[in-house]
Amino acid sequence: MVGVLVRLKLRVLRNSLRGRQIVGMIVGGILGLFLAVFTVFAGLVPFDEARTSVDVLASLYAVWAIGWILAPVATGGGDDTLRPEHFALLPIGRRKLAVGLLAASFVGVTALVSLVAFLGLVTYGLRLGTGPALVGLVFALLQLVFVVLAYRLMMAALGALLTSRKGKELGVLLVALTGLSGVAINYVASSLGPAIVDGRVPALATTVRILPSGWGTLAVRAAGDGDWGIVAGLLAGLAALIAVMLLGWGALLAKRVTSPSFRGASRSKAAEPGKRARRSLLPETPIGAVAGKELRTWWRDARRRVALLSTVMIGVVIAVVPSLSGGSRAVMLPYVALYVVFFASMQSGNLYGFDGSALWHTLVVPGAERADIRGRQLAWALIVAPVALLLALVLPGVTGTPSAYPWVLGLVPALVGGGAGVLMLQSVYIAYPLPDPRRNSSPWSSGGRPGCARVLLMLSVSLLLVVAAIPVVAVLVAGSVLHSPVLRWAGIPVGVLTGTALAWWWGWHAQQRLAARGPELLSTVSKER
Amino acid sequence: MAVEPAMGLYRLTKRFGTTLAADNVNLEVPPGSFFGLVGPNGAGKTTSLSMAVGLLRPDAGGARIFGVDVWQRPEQAKALIGVLPDGLSIPERLTGRELLTYMGLLRGLDKNTVAERAHELLGVLELLEAERTLVIDYSAGMRKKIGLAMALLHGPRLLVLDEPFEAVDPVSASTIRTILNRFVGSGGAVVLSSHVMALVEQLCNHVAVITHGRVVAAGAVDDVRGGGSLEDAFVHIVGGRTGGAEGLSWLASSSD
Repeated sequence: MVGVLVRLKLRVLRNSLRGRQIVGMIVGGILGLFLAVFTVFAGLVPFDEARTSVDVLASLYAVWAIGWILAPVATGGGDDTLRPEHFALLPIGRRKLAVGLLAASFVGVTALVSLVAFLGLVTYGLRLGTGPALVGLVFALLQLVFVVLAYRLMMAALGALLTSRKGKELGVLLVALTGLSGVAINYVASSLGPAIVDGRVPALATTVRILPSGWGTLAVRAAGDGDWGIVAGLLAGLAALIAVMLLGWGALLAKRVTSPSFRGASRSKAAEPGKRARRSLLPETPIGAVAGKELRTWWRDARRRVALLSTVMIGVVIAVVPSLSGGSRAVMLPYVALYVVFFASMQSGNLYGFDGSALWHTLVVPGAERADIRGRQLAWALIVAPVALLLALVLPGVTGTPSAYPWVLGLVPALVGGGAGVLMLQSVYIAYPLPDPRRNSSPWSSGGRPGCARVLLMLSVSLLLVVAAIPVVAVLVAGSVLHSPVLRWAGIPVGVLTGTALAWWWGWHAQQRLAARGPELLSTVSKER
Repeated sequence: MAVEPAMGLYRLTKRFGTTLAADNVNLEVPPGSFFGLVGPNGAGKTTSLSMAVGLLRPDAGGARIFGVDVWQRPEQAKALIGVLPDGLSIPERLTGRELLTYMGLLRGLDKNTVAERAHELLGVLELLEAERTLVIDYSAGMRKKIGLAMALLHGPRLLVLDEPFEAVDPVSASTIRTILNRFVGSGGAVVLSSHVMALVEQLCNHVAVITHGRVVAAGAVDDVRGGGSLEDAFVHIVGGRTGGAEGLSWLASSSD
């Protein structure tokens, strides 16, 4: 049974390796290996105090374990190459199936990389002697079993919830928010790491020692000190824990196979018809209709929400984090609005990719290209402009730099307009397919990410925004040089004018392109990856 | 001058990599006809229909709708057709009514007409109960129905439907059949693709058989099927061989 399932998994893996996936796997593998080697080396560093090594290793292994446990949430379902449902009709005992599936879970790059990281216990043990190294080997293997089981348990427990659309979207939002905030990572890397080494966070150190992920490190240390009783206790504890988890997982498997999957609450409902306040503000024209549809989609589609939210996040992080960590205090803060507009146009510059093959409906309506481009521009501006304006009006005043007002207020309209143009240029000229939202709503699922060359291209198109800024900057610089307050404030009308002109001009280009190459764009964005 | 065909495909050719998906496809759909396009999976039905309505640019050849060239004068041609593609997404995050309202306004219809037609279509296609469900959460059959509503909304003269009955339950299928028959009865033309022979035989008065990207038979249903059933004729024309009679001797004999 075990052999059959392992071979099946290997075969599926081999068949699914095509072109881009191989690259993804290799890149991911190398990255993982890098982290693993880092972990191993962390165990080799001769710290002044013996305690420090234990704390550092236990913390790193806690991070590895958390990574395994959060993986299903982050990837929207985790690895489901072999699903228990596939074997529901076969006359196989529950326990046999559980063991077989568990064995198959060890086949894969992630498990291999984790094993390398956990072998850090052996190298750490070698510093203390042969006995501790052997203890390290045993615990490295047990620790791998533990994390893989924890991962499987997480998947089985959340299983149906994660495969529902709503659950996936929730996971996506969660991960996007925590991951992109960057603040947490920054904090951990810059302050928590040294704090652990210096022993300044005893509570955290205790926690990572108590967690099962830290037991291996403790056992190796204990073996080094000759406390074989502790080693035996920890070994028995981890083995018992694994046994309990295995039983629990088997039970969950049986439940998952036989009970209907969770579907009901995955449906999101539209608001009651009748609440049409937003709708009625838009004109009842083709352009208004497109803008209305776009506004709804921005609001209802998790992937688009992530794109916009991450925009604000990136803007805020770039501008705020340097200010927080001292140095150039609050230099960037008044200009957050500009960052937000810039990233908003770059992040959402694949509108047709977001919609996928739905583009057909625009192509079969005569002359809809113009309405589509203009409506999308309008909707985007309606979302971004108020946020940017608010930031532009509030932040310079709050941070005590009113001299920034002419700059921010002049550049925001220029960039919003230019951004609305760049957005459509990107969407039409360098569209790339994303996974079909009907089947998979996780933006991290395989394929659909822009390649490196494409990212560079997107960046260079975004640099067109610099062009949008030139007239305003020119007027403002002239105003500063000539000490003319009139010229300085003339930046605002100039910004409004450039913004409007560029939105119109670049949108017109996108429209010509869409009209001429619509079918080609359709086949690009509806390509299944 | 002869009457212009509702849809005319002239030497349409499309190649994807090494596969020739459409190989010199010639087809004329008479006005007022109910036209079935049948063929095995991967025969080139969807490719041909996509090129006919302007969703896929042909490598060579042309398509005309009531004499209007789809690729030369797309605006006039597209106003005449209603399209239901197979397997493509639609704006997913709208409810059925929002979607129809959006499509109607995009087509340039006025607000009241759109509201009226959308309500009627939702009612006839029994989608009113799912009033608050987003299209992304629709079942496969509901998707076909909302797609058909999108195709009908602007009152086209020709309907081009790719697999309109796939995954549709029998009751809805009967509703759709009635609607399509009424549409043909009032002078419209319908082109649909399917691989369910019985359905095409029952519904259509004209049929074309397409296989390996080529039209191998076309004409009135009675002419194409000759004396037998359309299914027999199809298997004969396509050159297939109905398997299933040989081997498998162990099947169900082990109970003895």
